[in-house]
Amino acid sequence: MRLVFAALAGGMFGAGLLVSGMVDTLKVQGWLDVFGAWDPTLAFVMGGAILPMAFAWRLAARRPRSWLGTAFPAPSSPEIGRELVAGSVLFGMGWALAGLCPGPALASLTFGGSGGLIFLFAMLLGMVITPALRRQLFSGTNFSGTNLGPDPDRTAQPNTGPRSRAISGPSSGTTRMDIRPLTSRYAVSPQIELADLAAIKAAGFTTVIDNRPDAEIPPALHATPMRATAEALGLTFINNPVISGGLTEANIAAQSAAAAASTGPVFAYCASGNRSSVVWALMNAAKLDADTLINTAARYGYTLEHLRGQLADRAAKS
Amino acid sequence: MINPDWLWGLAGGLMIGTAGALYLLINGRVMGASGIIGGLIDGSARRSWAERSTFIAALIAVPMALLPAFPGAATHLTGNIWVIAVAGLLVGIGTRLANGCTSGHGVCGISRLSPRGLLATVTFILAGALLLAVLRHALGWI
Repeated sequence: MRLVFAALAGGMFGAGLLVSGMVDTLKVQGWLDVFGAWDPTLAFVMGGAILPMAFAWRLAARRPRSWLGTAFPAPSSPEIGRELVAGSVLFGMGWALAGLCPGPALASLTFGGSGGLIFLFAMLLGMVITPALRRQLFSGTNFSGTNLGPDPDRTAQPNTGPRSRAISGPSSGTTRMDIRPLTSRYAVSPQIELADLAAIKAAGFTTVIDNRPDAEIPPALHATPMRATAEALGLTFINNPVISGGLTEANIAAQSAAAAASTGPVFAYCASGNRSSVVWALMNAAKLDADTLINTAARYGYTLEHLRGQLADRAAKS
Repeated sequence: MINPDWLWGLAGGLMIGTAGALYLLINGRVMGASGIIGGLIDGSARRSWAERSTFIAALIAVPMALLPAFPGAATHLTGNIWVIAVAGLLVGIGTRLANGCTSGHGVCGISRLSPRGLLATVTFILAGALLLAVLRHALGWI
């Protein structure tokens, strides 16, 4: 059934590209050629395509799942990264040079002659080398906060080392933190105290995420004093309160964006570290398989078995 | 007088949007050409390879089948294979880095008012227009 509708959508997409004239590179270049014989046809195509899609997104927002039971794509990430801009600049240049983008390149494959084949081959080659290129160019950023494209290359592998790192609390020596590094880039922990932040900084973390709603804890541990202390130490502090049993897509998107924006390892805490682990598993569902995610969390004492269905859904939509 | 090309564009656009709407509402997926191909290329689509392959097969086969009804259809692609190769490489790399192309960011992104989709679309149109202005009008190369 899924394949029937994939064929229907793909076929209608192809027919639409043919009917609209978007397989004609002169029309596309005409749209981009603002100083020449400018051709506005592409704007009509985009407008025509956006109308039914906008209607579809509104329908999707009111339904829990797609008709075939897959979860809908996660809300668009607010993260604007260098890759988005740099990639779009490169794409725009290639698009203008030949007048082809991926959809029309495929739709015109059977009548585009050898040039069309060369274009497709070069495009596929570009796609093949992109992960390596990305590592070269953007090695500073690790988690991809985007929802559209999973990228296993950039995901830090789950740690297989010791169960956790216990770090003595600074100065007072009374608190003992329990840092549980799920990956080399993301650790979770039970509730911390203000005095722990210096040790977190010293351990190399650059971003601290508070996943615990203020309502659960005494005022001294609220997000405001935590933020003040963390930021005074030069840490990035993100308040992303997760209500126990009431995790939202916005929570996942915010956590993912914070991890993507972090220049170094991320330290996330809640009451026990469980919620911070759940969010981690869900935001990485497209990159790591459910077993890896569940087993990694289990090594640190968090049971995520109940998420297996959700993880599979999120992975399937990627 | 409305240029008939614009009406064909609007009609084709509605078909593209309807295809994207079906793919979203029924299959629960974003119809982005570069993402659908790219996922097959980099192996990140372990579970959905059949769905993606079917989509691509239909995307290639249906225009082929309809071609007799559109005798004027042609790509008018440049004959310079170096331009084509460089363009293809840029499109491949750019769409994977940016995680989307005209269909993913342009159609699907803008229609949900995604900031990423809007920014990507504005960026690739500006970059393309600028390059064409330089190459065609300032340098006279293409």
